[in-house]
Amino acid sequence: MAEHDYLKGLKISRRSFLKASAMGAGAFVLSHELLDFKSWVHAQTEAPVITFPTFCNGCGNRCGIIASVKNGRLWKIEGNPEANGNLGVVCPKGHGYLHDLYNPQRLKSPLKRAGDKFEPISWEQAYKEISEKINLILMDKGPQSLFWVNYPQSNHQYALRLMHALGSPHYFTHGSTCYTARNAGWVTTVGQLPSNDLSNAQYILIIGRNPAGGINLGQVKCIVEAKGKGAKLVVLDPRHSETAILADEWLPIKPGTDLAFLLGFINVLVKEELYDKKIVSEKTVGFKQLVEEIVNYPPEWVEKICEIPAKTITRIARDMAQVKPKALIHRGYHGAFGAQYLNSFQTARALAIANSLLGNINRKGGIYFAKSALLGELQPKHPAPEFPKMGKLDGTGVPGRYPLGSYGDGIAHAIPELALRGELKAGFVYHNNPLRTNPNPKRVMAGYKKLELLVVIDTVLSETASIAHYVLPESFYLERDEALDTKHSGKRAQVSIQQQVVKPLYNTRPGTQIIIELAKHLGVEKYFNFNIEEANQLRLKPLGVTLGDLKARGVLFVGENWKEGFDKLETPSGKVELYSETLKKLGFPPVPKWEEPFVSPDPRDPHSFRLLHGKQAIHTHSMTANQPYLMAISHRYDMIRLWMNRLRGSQLGLKDGDWVKIKSTVGEGKVRVRLTEGLHPSCVWLPSGYGIFSKHLNTAYDIGLNYNDFLPTYFDPTVGHSMSSEIVVNVTKA
Amino acid sequence: MARYGMVIDESKCVGCNACRVACQNQNNLAPYEAYNHLEEREYGAFPNYNREFLPVQCQHCDNPPCVRVCPTGASHKRKDGVVLVNEDKCIGCKYCIAACPYNVRIIKKEGYIEKCRFCIEFVEKGETPACVTTCMTGVRMFGNLDDPNSEISRFITKHKLKQFKAEINTQPRIYYRKA
Repeated sequence: MAEHDYLKGLKISRRSFLKASAMGAGAFVLSHELLDFKSWVHAQTEAPVITFPTFCNGCGNRCGIIASVKNGRLWKIEGNPEANGNLGVVCPKGHGYLHDLYNPQRLKSPLKRAGDKFEPISWEQAYKEISEKINLILMDKGPQSLFWVNYPQSNHQYALRLMHALGSPHYFTHGSTCYTARNAGWVTTVGQLPSNDLSNAQYILIIGRNPAGGINLGQVKCIVEAKGKGAKLVVLDPRHSETAILADEWLPIKPGTDLAFLLGFINVLVKEELYDKKIVSEKTVGFKQLVEEIVNYPPEWVEKICEIPAKTITRIARDMAQVKPKALIHRGYHGAFGAQYLNSFQTARALAIANSLLGNINRKGGIYFAKSALLGELQPKHPAPEFPKMGKLDGTGVPGRYPLGSYGDGIAHAIPELALRGELKAGFVYHNNPLRTNPNPKRVMAGYKKLELLVVIDTVLSETASIAHYVLPESFYLERDEALDTKHSGKRAQVSIQQQVVKPLYNTRPGTQIIIELAKHLGVEKYFNFNIEEANQLRLKPLGVTLGDLKARGVLFVGENWKEGFDKLETPSGKVELYSETLKKLGFPPVPKWEEPFVSPDPRDPHSFRLLHGKQAIHTHSMTANQPYLMAISHRYDMIRLWMNRLRGSQLGLKDGDWVKIKSTVGEGKVRVRLTEGLHPSCVWLPSGYGIFSKHLNTAYDIGLNYNDFLPTYFDPTVGHSMSSEIVVNVTKA
Repeated sequence: MARYGMVIDESKCVGCNACRVACQNQNNLAPYEAYNHLEEREYGAFPNYNREFLPVQCQHCDNPPCVRVCPTGASHKRKDGVVLVNEDKCIGCKYCIAACPYNVRIIKKEGYIEKCRFCIEFVEKGETPACVTTCMTGVRMFGNLDDPNSEISRFITKHKLKQFKAEINTQPRIYYRKA
């Protein structure tokens, strides 16, 4: 076909195209580039792109993003380079989850249960009926019978304010199934949860945490930066995690024995006098008691427990001591000791102590205390409600129950028990899905179904929303202005804001607006006489920046720069508590002490495994599995499979991809296996994020399994966490 | 004129697929349409084990088999090194899919064949391809191979790099740094 024939087919823009190309690039290029005419037309007729800085909602990290809108439709997001948490990049979940804006299964108006179905109702009717029911319950059973549970959002303080205004102490996060053991371990040792100065470290040891899979973009970027400067990265994990791919060394530890490894590590530091002597004498208490206990854990003993060679433990301790204080053991998150084992709290303590002995607390290249932005208060203009007089019924912070538990987080997976006992009568679930993310869903469902009133605020009909009495549709995160946030604070504090990118598509409302309107209907409007704009302005006031500037940039640095060192910690002694008098008084070991996991697989039974779980980079909890862009990846790469050590698989007569039946004391299910050399033989590993059973979520429904189906209901004795890796399963060929 | 190329540092890829979805958004692709994919490889036996991900997309070959077999001239090679498909000329015969040794061409929902375009419309406006900018570990580097001072040119002279399936003489414009 001659080129002029091709040109005959062209319409409107041919003349201007020829002109522009000829002027721009000359005749030769013109003839060559004609073939790409369509893309040129695309470029020329392209609608203007409008960008908005905001933050992502694809997981709890709330990364700073720039959203692009074309022809009134959301087009894409990119990382905000100024945001400390993600440093200009976006993960697959962020790119994928934004498509939920146009998900046809989104909630389009408030819903009220009518038998087995829902019927759409107006916001006014929803608020009226919900508040009437709540007021009756409050009168009858008292304010403590009401709860609110949410996955932390920037507006969580308004939810807390609403509970307090109504007199209820029952505000919960998902913490007890995620991180409360880690937090408590750090808090009892150094007084607060610190951050990792990864980019300046020369030696990074990561125990169980997988920032390249349970994505933390900023951390991964900093690890890569450190490695570029010659830092060593060692990953201790029963599974060859995505972070292990970046590591110099992968140490497949026997699951549940990380505490033993750390005790051996501390033993070497102490025995060989490799610890920071100045820090130990000036800034710690209880070194003598620590030494008395730690002599029991020589590396040769540890090797037998955790299957890491004694000489490896010794070498790592020596190598880290060599570069201290620029050597750190990652502070951890969920994996290994967030809410995993009976010994998780002691593991977190041992980890904090090991770091402290390296003298790296609040040091460059070590563990540091992030700067925080002190936001302004809404009072005196808007008086705060009184703190509720009665304690939480879940026992957080109560001696004899879960004394080290975090009052702020509560024990959310105790709600079903409290509901079954009739102590909780009504609740709100906001941006959370306990039916899928809490242990033993049959029990969770029984508990939540017992409630006299369950109101779920969500964007889709999740498992939990499916059994609610009322469902209030929240605007998608890109459709709403929200509370400002300080989540990205690091070496310098940062304040960030979530703002509307596109107009709401349906009859939905922003979370904060829903809270304020609920408050008005519930008769506590005196505490909510503001809107989100005014609240943001008041909170920003002391920081010396304007809301206009913040909205233009999305994130702003505020306050002073971080400085090395510390005078006094927020512990009872003001020092690092190697020995804790508080723990002794509560009847817990005052210095870390070896403790076996609660349950362990039977080594003589070829079918017996410990069930571990972890995140894949493409899914967040139960909220992204229904997203076609992300589920397409799960299918394309066969990522829904259960990982199993190849040798153990062959002993069961399994081939890669075979179906297996897994069974625990509380549940069973079928899944296909991935046989690999990259997993400790004593366990199987299930990716979290699958096993959706809400029939309203078409893409994800009935695909894969979820570890919660196999997890009995546990409350560890320190903080009441869910001990989510204390699962022994029986695996057979299906 | 610029002549574009890319470096992919295999040692940094953790297989997260951010590049895939960022590219899908940039190019308005459907969930199952992807211009890049990852090949996972495992090595060794427990506990001495490693795995890696090889990111693969159109290699923008200087000797492109897809262009040779295309009966209509829809697949073509530009002066700046970029291989493109002209959707108006594409008749969807799939010869190019069969000819491409990298398995990176897809049939779009509209019926024509497409693949990675090096985000050329955006690059011409001074932007960087979406797969490059979104990556948390910095796997990819994109730039002008004809400019000796570009980041990518300097990287190529400094490191030992390989082309994927170089033995079949496709002369790719993507250079891999092995794990």
